[in-house]
Amino acid sequence: MSGLTDIHGARLSRRAFIGTGGALAVAVGLPVKASAEAGAKASLDAAVPANWIEIDAAGAVTIRTGKCDFGQSSVNTAYRQIVAEELCVPLSAMTTVITGDTDRTPDGGGTFWLLGYVQNLRKVAAYMREAALEVAAGKLGVDRKALSVKDGVISGGGKAISYAQLVKGQDLKLTIPVEGELTSPMGLTVKGDPPMKPVSEYTIIGKPSANPMTRPKVSGEAVWVGDVTLPGMLHARTIHPATLGSKLVKAGKLDSAQFPGARLVTIGNLLAVVSPDEWEAVQAAQAVAAETQWSEWKGLPGHEGLAEHLRSKADWSAFPVRDGAANKGEPEKVATAHEHKASYFLPYHKHAPISPMVTLADYRPDGSVTLHTLSQNPQHLRHMIAKMLGTGEEKVVVRTYPGSGHYGRSNGGSAGSEDEAVLLSRELGRPVRVQWMRADDMQWTTQSSCALADIDIRLDKDGRIAGYSAQHHVPPMQDDRLVGAILAGLPVIESPAPASNDPFQVGITDVQDTWVYGAVPAVREKGLSTWQIGEKESPLAVGLRDHSMRTPIQFQQNFPRELAISEAAMLAGKDALQFRLDHITDPRFKAILEKLRTESGWDSRPSPAPGARASGKGTVKGRGLSIMLRDNGYWACAAHVSVTPESGEVKVERMTMVADVGIVINPLQLRRQIQAGCLMGVSQALHEEVTFDQGAITSVDWASYPILTMAEMPQLKIVFETNLAAGNYGQGSESANALAAPAIAGAVLDATGRPVRRLPLRPDYVKAALV
Amino acid sequence: MTKIVVNGQEREVKASPDTPLLYVLRNELGVKGVKFGCGLAQCGACSVLLGDEEVRACVTPIAALDGKPVTTVDGLPARWAQKTGLKPDPQRLHPVQQAWVDEQVPQCGICQFGMMIKVTELLEANPKPSDAEITEALTTSGPSPHLCRCGSYAAILEGAHRAARLMAEGGAA
Repeated sequence: MSGLTDIHGARLSRRAFIGTGGALAVAVGLPVKASAEAGAKASLDAAVPANWIEIDAAGAVTIRTGKCDFGQSSVNTAYRQIVAEELCVPLSAMTTVITGDTDRTPDGGGTFWLLGYVQNLRKVAAYMREAALEVAAGKLGVDRKALSVKDGVISGGGKAISYAQLVKGQDLKLTIPVEGELTSPMGLTVKGDPPMKPVSEYTIIGKPSANPMTRPKVSGEAVWVGDVTLPGMLHARTIHPATLGSKLVKAGKLDSAQFPGARLVTIGNLLAVVSPDEWEAVQAAQAVAAETQWSEWKGLPGHEGLAEHLRSKADWSAFPVRDGAANKGEPEKVATAHEHKASYFLPYHKHAPISPMVTLADYRPDGSVTLHTLSQNPQHLRHMIAKMLGTGEEKVVVRTYPGSGHYGRSNGGSAGSEDEAVLLSRELGRPVRVQWMRADDMQWTTQSSCALADIDIRLDKDGRIAGYSAQHHVPPMQDDRLVGAILAGLPVIESPAPASNDPFQVGITDVQDTWVYGAVPAVREKGLSTWQIGEKESPLAVGLRDHSMRTPIQFQQNFPRELAISEAAMLAGKDALQFRLDHITDPRFKAILEKLRTESGWDSRPSPAPGARASGKGTVKGRGLSIMLRDNGYWACAAHVSVTPESGEVKVERMTMVADVGIVINPLQLRRQIQAGCLMGVSQALHEEVTFDQGAITSVDWASYPILTMAEMPQLKIVFETNLAAGNYGQGSESANALAAPAIAGAVLDATGRPVRRLPLRPDYVKAALV
Repeated sequence: MTKIVVNGQEREVKASPDTPLLYVLRNELGVKGVKFGCGLAQCGACSVLLGDEEVRACVTPIAALDGKPVTTVDGLPARWAQKTGLKPDPQRLHPVQQAWVDEQVPQCGICQFGMMIKVTELLEANPKPSDAEITEALTTSGPSPHLCRCGSYAAILEGAHRAARLMAEGGAA
């Protein structure tokens, strides 16, 4: 039997049978062996569906994806549910998920927008289901149109066959259309339009699903990235330069009497100590660091001068000005009865993972290298490591493991330490494990951009917004350069620039905070950007490097917008929630705002609150809100706070978050994601500011970069329900993260009658704003 | 040679007495249920029980163990079996771990090793703590607050209450 069948644009060939021994995936010649040795050439062929999804002769399904699960479990739970739904198999059949290994996963791309990217896997599943139906029709002698699939069994015309029976002993080759470049930042995309299961027939999507990784993680059985070892492995500690622009003048001496097993390695400005004994490496690195001389450099404005630097020194003509997608009319020419005009400032934030980055690299004499690391974009990391080494990508394998969440920092590939481990392993001819210390992770990684926004809201005589203009000044994000390679003087990709051969490195500089106030007649939003602060001045070309964090740019633009809207509502003498309703046109937003009013116990009245004051003893209370549209998910958040005007202390008492994210895949995990994302947002609102002097980041640990503690946790109320009609799969913690800060700032405004137009809402800054 | 008791077993250790327990456990003894967080006793990711008290393994030299037994997350099931007289069962987690699974507490999970140790310490001394007592244990009782960057504190609170219920049920069995 042979033949070639078109399956909605994919090609199915049925040329041969093989013996009964083979347990085969439904549409592929041979099961994929998950045993690629370090240094192996192959990344899996993405045109072969079984490399994405494989069904074996027992009916068990394996998913392979280059995305990684950082614990929010979208890959480990939602991906299983989505594939099971499309294949029409029970969730229990989804036995294995392989993530983020460049030799064992087919697709590449970054770990962000996970439930958008999942359309790749969903399509593969649909192709496989359709191919299986086609094959089953022939095998059962039943018309294809009479067949349907349920619980892994294809049936119709009084006959039935399971996927497991269907694939047993078969040699079926299905080739699916794929485009893109595997090791590019965005990876590969599955093309074509196989028929998708109608949303109305979903039985698995929308049900709570526990994360199978939780048990091995809490039992201690899971192998985390820092747990991986290799025979002959050396422990390394990097000694990073004194400032972000310092070059090595003279390395400190390594006392071999005190540290007999340790060795000092210098590669350009990259300095490290290695030892078979980790504690010896730690101590020896500290001793050497204390005596190492670096050139002086002073090219940063200092965090206290940052707002002024952004205002008057930074060159905002360096990057093209981006216009907001909703711009219309000429708001600056609109006649106004009342005008709200103000500037807003956000400091840099750190991703600040609890565990600093760690990588084990094994460079072999044949020039191949395997990295055991944690990355949100292993294929692009592979590309960057190959570029650094001046070798082919086929020489590089990246394996990933569970590790400390870092919220977007490595979605272009690198979070830190990967390149250093590779260079040290190459230098020493042994596997090298680089564990960054707390200060390395705080000082030598990227940050979430600072921002300055100028907002002008013009109200008509009825207190409605007649014109809205905003100029958002934000240094560009997405600096994915390998910092160890920079120190070593080796090739790296480009830093964010107005124009680049690599579209990912153009930087995120546009208006990302989708305009939601459709009833405003005139709107002009502009996104301005500049060089990363200090980069051009630094002899190393390393300044304050920026990278996306959860809601890149949108956080920086939504805080000023939403606080300004609350201020405009106060100026108009209107209730802040009703004021938003009055300017919104989208019914999904109207629905969640009404729900927020009920769920949060919102007291509808204009701000400031009765009894509001900005001085004196005791506390005053207030409530504020914020709204945001992201990934076709609608979000509204209310914060209830108390403020002690005398000290400036803000206590967040309650947070209520209402969301219509679209189709809820897994309500259990979505609730956890929203709770956690919200609390990280409260942390950023109350505490977080990266401090730096003229040369170096001075937020080096948890004392100098405090985050929210459990004692500061407000009451949380999370409200959402699925919206099948929306069509999109709903995202969680990312979006939840951005809403807290403007809602809390709005509540402080309500409680005191005074705006605090900067973050964090720390006692000294709040007190200064209340005077 | 230093002798230390880890998860119920006496182990001989070659590391110098000033070596922090963290490195000895992870590297010399292969006990990985203790994680490096800050190395400064500021976050709690590396917490272990020394006797019945939570300590930070990253700043506790093995010379300071004072003969007391060390329990890591890996050793919690055996600790529970010993305390209750239940037969050791490789499938049975400590109630705190089981509660963490039941409540799906972790996001990334790296801090949860210390969180579970601290909650075990609390529940052994106070079987039915209030919200405030759980929060106090995880914020002010130790050398530093136990920090979670993902923001899983609400889940941790629910997990701690569930663990208390599971322990009460297990103790009665």
